[in-house]
Amino acid sequence: MTNRTLCLVALFIPFVSVGAQYPTSPPLPAPVKPAQFPPFQEATLPNGVRLVVVENHKAPVVSISLSMAAGGIYDPTGKEGLASIVAGLLTKGGGARGADQISEAIESVGGSLFAGANLDFTTVRANALTSSAPLAFELVGDAVARPTFPDKELELLRTQTLSGLQLELSDPAAIASATFSRAVYGTGPYAKRAKPTTVQTITRDDVVAFHKARLRPSGALLVVAGDITLAKATELATRALTGWTGAPTGTVAMTPPAAHANQEILLVHRPGSVQSNIYTGGPTFLPTDAQSYPLRIASRILGGGPQSRLFLIVREQKSYAYDAHTETARPKGVGTFRAVTQVRTEVTDSALAEVLAQVRRIQSEPVPAKELDDAKNSLVGQFPLTIQTADDVAQAVTDAKLLGLPATYLQTYRTRLAAVTGPEVMAAAKRVMGPAVIVVVGDATKTYEKLKKIAPVTLLTVDGTPMSPSELEVKASAIAVDPAKLRLGVDSFDVVLTQGGQSRSVGYQRSELAKRGNDFVYTEAVSIPLAGLQQNSTITFAPSLALKEIKQNGSVQGQTLTTSLTFSGNRVKGSAMAPQAGGPKTTAVDTTFAPGTIDGSQLVAILHGMDLADGFKMTVNAFDSGSGTTETNTVRVTGRETATVPAGTFEAYRVEVAGKQTVNILVTVAAPHRIVKIMPPGAPLEIRLVK
Amino acid sequence: MRCPLFVTVCGVALLSSSRPTLAQDPAPIKFETYSLPNGLSVVLAEDHASQVVEVNVWYHVGSRNEVRGRTGFAHLFEHMMFQGSANVPKAQHSALVTNAGGINNGSTTEDRTNFFETLPSNRLNLGLWLEAEHMRSLAVNKDNFENQRQAVKEERRLRVDNQPYTWALFEGSYGVYDSTTCFPYAHSVIGSMSDLDAAQTNDVLAFYKQYYVPNNATLTVVGDIAPAEAKKLVQQYFGDIPRGADPANVECTPKFNTGAVRRNVKDVNANLPAVFQVFRVPEYKSADYPALNLLSTILGGGESSRLNRSLAREKKSAAQAFTIFNPFGPRNGAGVFLAGGIVNQGVSMDTLDAQLASELAKVARDGVTDAELTKAKNAYRSSVINARQYAASVAEALQTANQFLGSPAAVNEQLARYMKVSVADITRVAATYLRPDNSLTLLVSKEGK
Repeated sequence: MTNRTLCLVALFIPFVSVGAQYPTSPPLPAPVKPAQFPPFQEATLPNGVRLVVVENHKAPVVSISLSMAAGGIYDPTGKEGLASIVAGLLTKGGGARGADQISEAIESVGGSLFAGANLDFTTVRANALTSSAPLAFELVGDAVARPTFPDKELELLRTQTLSGLQLELSDPAAIASATFSRAVYGTGPYAKRAKPTTVQTITRDDVVAFHKARLRPSGALLVVAGDITLAKATELATRALTGWTGAPTGTVAMTPPAAHANQEILLVHRPGSVQSNIYTGGPTFLPTDAQSYPLRIASRILGGGPQSRLFLIVREQKSYAYDAHTETARPKGVGTFRAVTQVRTEVTDSALAEVLAQVRRIQSEPVPAKELDDAKNSLVGQFPLTIQTADDVAQAVTDAKLLGLPATYLQTYRTRLAAVTGPEVMAAAKRVMGPAVIVVVGDATKTYEKLKKIAPVTLLTVDGTPMSPSELEVKASAIAVDPAKLRLGVDSFDVVLTQGGQSRSVGYQRSELAKRGNDFVYTEAVSIPLAGLQQNSTITFAPSLALKEIKQNGSVQGQTLTTSLTFSGNRVKGSAMAPQAGGPKTTAVDTTFAPGTIDGSQLVAILHGMDLADGFKMTVNAFDSGSGTTETNTVRVTGRETATVPAGTFEAYRVEVAGKQTVNILVTVAAPHRIVKIMPPGAPLEIRLVK
Repeated sequence: MRCPLFVTVCGVALLSSSRPTLAQDPAPIKFETYSLPNGLSVVLAEDHASQVVEVNVWYHVGSRNEVRGRTGFAHLFEHMMFQGSANVPKAQHSALVTNAGGINNGSTTEDRTNFFETLPSNRLNLGLWLEAEHMRSLAVNKDNFENQRQAVKEERRLRVDNQPYTWALFEGSYGVYDSTTCFPYAHSVIGSMSDLDAAQTNDVLAFYKQYYVPNNATLTVVGDIAPAEAKKLVQQYFGDIPRGADPANVECTPKFNTGAVRRNVKDVNANLPAVFQVFRVPEYKSADYPALNLLSTILGGGESSRLNRSLAREKKSAAQAFTIFNPFGPRNGAGVFLAGGIVNQGVSMDTLDAQLASELAKVARDGVTDAELTKAKNAYRSSVINARQYAASVAEALQTANQFLGSPAAVNEQLARYMKVSVADITRVAATYLRPDNSLTLLVSKEGK
């Protein structure tokens, strides 16, 4: 290139690059706009209610939120669940309206009304279009000042609460969360939980007494946001809350969280669970604690969002889980921190070990400056996103006031966060991330032994009752196959290869199930000359399905393979061979064998004896005779299809047998079930029933 | 999108033709639309109510575009979009957004795949650049493909296999359609495990080249923006991405009223049994859609809804009773209307099933009251007004109108479509679609029988 062309290029570049060139690195931020912080106004009503109004006329909507110190911690012993029942009943009868009239009234104007209780507070919230604001105030007033607590609504809510508690038992995350809370708070007020037995004892008198004692205006917080003025809100609130007077009575002594001297794993056995829910963490501190800011940043670095350490390592690098994150609960009293993930059963121990390693790392190693800056920038930068609407601002104001945070909290939040240093982050992590408590909810038959290597394990049932490890053994053996349903006889299959749209027969499979004395004998002969495969297997098993003997011989691509295994009691002995590059691999087998384990080929032999139906799913321990190891196979019906094979056309279940590899098998819907097609993984082959 | 090429101010044209605005109606969304020469459709809506900007791209591809043996691809591909591109290393897409204080994600439905960034408004450039990276230079290789395949399978375990009722809900979303006449809507969005296992890196690359082209995408930017600056950035970042071949149309001829089907679904996580009745309904742009949506509210929206009142409160046969209209959102093609309940303790599935059927038959026979219809309309009006308060939901509303009604301008006509529904319309759609011979009933229990 000559000097002259260089000059031309130099001249030319500015012309194209103005607004035209594609940047190859992330564009830099435009200047930050000055903060647009919505103002709010305050007043106190004559009955002691603290009123906060956040005015915003952008949309014709009004939101109302009234909170009282009447949460679950005030439940009398033996009546746990009372605060939630009371809250639930507030909108089921008030003033002149019954439950149906209340829901009809608010829903007819496109609004919403809700009442609920958490640990500390009972809150009644209403949203409505501006034109319906008077109605929304009236309904909130009826709920707190004039509730009628009809008997039939109590009974209905009790039934629903009991059903809800039952539903929670099927939600692994809810089980893990409840177990975690019990472990952190011991017998303190924050450990209180509704149980079927306590919900059963709650009477209408209990409800009335609780309302009278705790749902009082003095100290209650009323936040009104949206298309409304302070004067209008005061007028509507005063009218709606007429006759509501007094201050709450009764206090609760907050006890410090339970001490955890030795690390242990609380393993909640959930049979058949395909995943394990892992919670690790412990108690934190009061919401006013100065370490709230560094903890927020530490939690963000460890598990707050898609570039946190847990997400990147547990999900992205290790592929253990779909999600891994941290949670901080910030009630009015001492809160909790926890790292949470939900991983597939097989990697439960590895995932827990990784989570624990990452917790130790943030507690013991300084956070690199860039990572710290990123975390701070993200928390500071996201603030505008959290206050987009008047309702958002109202929620932020409500939280700050209920937790007793200083009046300047929201205004100084960003500057306080931005000032946090690396050593402060480490100190906060050390103080609260523990883990004081480790909870795993999953199938303990597959995780118990492995988790014991990490820490001592205490086994629990889903409702929190301790259980003994010996109970796991018994439950591993049930495979629901009725031996009487096993069909004896011979099936012949054609092995068909499909390539380039052309299908041709390349071999055969012959399967026979016969009886010898009381035992079943399954023989399978496969021949696919094209693949160099020739194999004969004989599997003998008892009517209980317990394996007795496996014999296999054949050749795969020139390698001759012989396997011979005998099963007795809980032991398997013999030798197994598997093909491998450079010659077959022989494994001497002499190992324990869990009851209920069956052979992979046996599974095909007994598939037709299972109670197949849409949605059918069963997990079985299957023995791989080639390697002498046991793996978990999941057998499930994934759908139905019509299959045409040489033997005829059949309506069939598509059965997925998923282990190390996934095989799909079509089995007739009509009983006795019969295998009509087998689709092995990784090859364009199908094994089709001929007769 | 039906706006002509280059800058046309659809929103303004629409304002003049609208009916008079009621006091409680939302202000129309003001926006402009244009297309780049490479076919990328752009929608810009300026709104300075908060210091937030939304960058939102819809690719007009979803599970409907999948072929047999390759189900779950559209969703798997959504995951691949976060695996890096020419100038953004793996996992850095989300890192850049989060470090700016923003949030980002993507989602896949039957008909479209979306990606969005919600950012403080001084980071508009970052959001646009990241979406341009997606469109121009996605990194597809064996390693990150395998990693995401595992993540998707894990997502399926987490969100479907291990949650009560979810598999039945998935089955309800497609199981009512016949895969021989309408495969696009007769398989699940998340796909089968065996198809996911069989997927090859080359399949993914082909999918990208076919569907992730500017002429198959719409970029919507909403919030605290200066349109002139936004246009300059859009041109700079997206202007030189080559146009691709136009994707083929999806063929689906759904059959309605083919006879009642009942299936038992085994769900080991279902501590209480459940009953789902699923009905075939027409596509989003159908004239019957607003009436069906309002009927869904009348039957199952809120405590004063018919099913909640009758089944949960009076007969106490259901712990919860509900309707779900298209579980994953609107569809270009035929959809599903679900009515269902979780069976209360001590009640049989058959009892709830029969009561549910009777409630649905009652609508077709006796219609609904004026008050019920007004209530459902008010709920819809409220939901529209509430959604207008967030840049993110305004962007989604514009995209929805564009994808399913043919033009973003239709966003400002939606409310009117709903307000003109009559009681007679409700009775008619109930009689037309919620009939037993147009249904699939799923009986969900631990035992599966």
